[in-house]
Amino acid sequence: MNYTVQVIGESVGKDGRKIIKVTKENFLDLMKDLRNQGFDHLSLITGVDRKDFMEVVYHLHSMKTNEYVVVKVETRDYKVPSVTGLWKSADWDEREQYDLLGIIFEGHPNLKRLFLPENWVGHPLRKNYDMKKTQYINMDEEGNDYATFDERGGW
Amino acid sequence: MVMPSSDWVELNFGPQHPSMHGVLRLKAKLDGEIVKEIEPVIGYLHRNAEKICEMTYFNDNLIYFDRMDYVGAMNMEVGYLEAAEKLLDISISERVKWIRVIMAELSRIAAHLVWAGAYGLDLGMLTPFFHCFIEREKILTIFTEVSGSRQEVNYMCVGGVYQDITEKAINEIEDFVREFPKRLKDIFNMLMKNDIFLSRTKGIGILDKETAISYGVTGPMLRASGVEYDVRKAEPYLVYDQVNFDIPVSYKGDNLARVLVRFEEMRQSLKIVEQAVKKIPDGPYFNPKAKKSLMIRMRGEGDVYARTESSKGEFGVYIVGDGGVKPYRVRVRSPTLRNLSVLPELAKDVMIADMIAISGTLDLVFGEIDR
Repeated sequence: MNYTVQVIGESVGKDGRKIIKVTKENFLDLMKDLRNQGFDHLSLITGVDRKDFMEVVYHLHSMKTNEYVVVKVETRDYKVPSVTGLWKSADWDEREQYDLLGIIFEGHPNLKRLFLPENWVGHPLRKNYDMKKTQYINMDEEGNDYATFDERGGW
Repeated sequence: MVMPSSDWVELNFGPQHPSMHGVLRLKAKLDGEIVKEIEPVIGYLHRNAEKICEMTYFNDNLIYFDRMDYVGAMNMEVGYLEAAEKLLDISISERVKWIRVIMAELSRIAAHLVWAGAYGLDLGMLTPFFHCFIEREKILTIFTEVSGSRQEVNYMCVGGVYQDITEKAINEIEDFVREFPKRLKDIFNMLMKNDIFLSRTKGIGILDKETAISYGVTGPMLRASGVEYDVRKAEPYLVYDQVNFDIPVSYKGDNLARVLVRFEEMRQSLKIVEQAVKKIPDGPYFNPKAKKSLMIRMRGEGDVYARTESSKGEFGVYIVGDGGVKPYRVRVRSPTLRNLSVLPELAKDVMIADMIAISGTLDLVFGEIDR
């Protein structure tokens, strides 16, 4: 694995996987580089809420050589470039992370919530999410779900 | 690209529909009986297990994993513990490793049997369903013997298993290994000697290799499309490098290929169980270090990703610890979520009835997709 993009650092994680840390500006170039080098399987996208910034972790895997690499990028404004153009599985993965953590993936063609109703308030996996406020779910005439704070308006 | 026509009919399948395995809702646009566009809507079983895991101790999280893939619960426990034990630096004895392999493989057979029975139902065959569930019940009896519970077993824990495997359970497993191949052959023949079954699976729902990899499809679905990827071989965990088994691969990529791969996988799993029962060594069934630290609560720092092969595909667990007694972040890679995301691609320009036949081969379990 050799890439031309400037990265912050390389290390080896506790589970023995290689970790590459990269800035947000160089992130998309690095991912394109890795994609061209045979990392054809984007296994997982994870957002980790570190309270004052968001860390987005990408697990990449090559079906041919069975190599494994982890890419980490940090963002303070909760915005990361989307990689849907490189791997199709990124579509639902990014929608899930947007839904639960509120990370905006710039350039995603269809960035809407995956699990929760579209008008749900807040992103549950954020550390500052208020769990005391209960939201109730109901269905409109079209068959789509919506959320409401009114106790009698849903279940 | 086909332009949307005003003659298309919009049709909703589910979320409560008998031929949807669980609470899947499909928004379909139909031109006569041909499916033109399809959009899966999920989230009806969403419990946010990842958030719950952040609020609970490391060992207590296991019960939420049982409820993800509820038809193959042992595989979920193995997946979580692979990650958790690495994060907490707790080793397990050889005996525990072999016990876990036996349980994981029996669980895989049980999950595939549920799928085989339900897929027969999808295509209008009632008989195989009962035969599959009779065989599955034998496996659940073994689970009851070792753990006291049938389906959501909660058998394993950080550092080992809750109770040692008994002589009676070993005998039951040996009986099962002896009798199952003949019964599996019967079930196989029930499906394969039926012309309707063959004509509804052969050549339908073809998934090619590149699309499958790009969508992150794994497990039997990927292997039916001609990619020889199995985590048990690619990155052996537990003692999978010490047992002898093959990975079934088919190059057709259609419904029939996925059926055949799953049936062959059951035979291979049985082969593993047969070897493991003979090889299982003596030793402690619990790491005393873990038992002691259960009282004072275990602490973990760093981040660990572990991938395992569940009955549906690559099941991954990513745990981030901040040195506290609870995980900072738990992320689950659900194989069926990615397998479902390829459905709009597969079910393009097919008949409605074929769409049901295709979605049946995805082996959907909604506890795992929605989490």
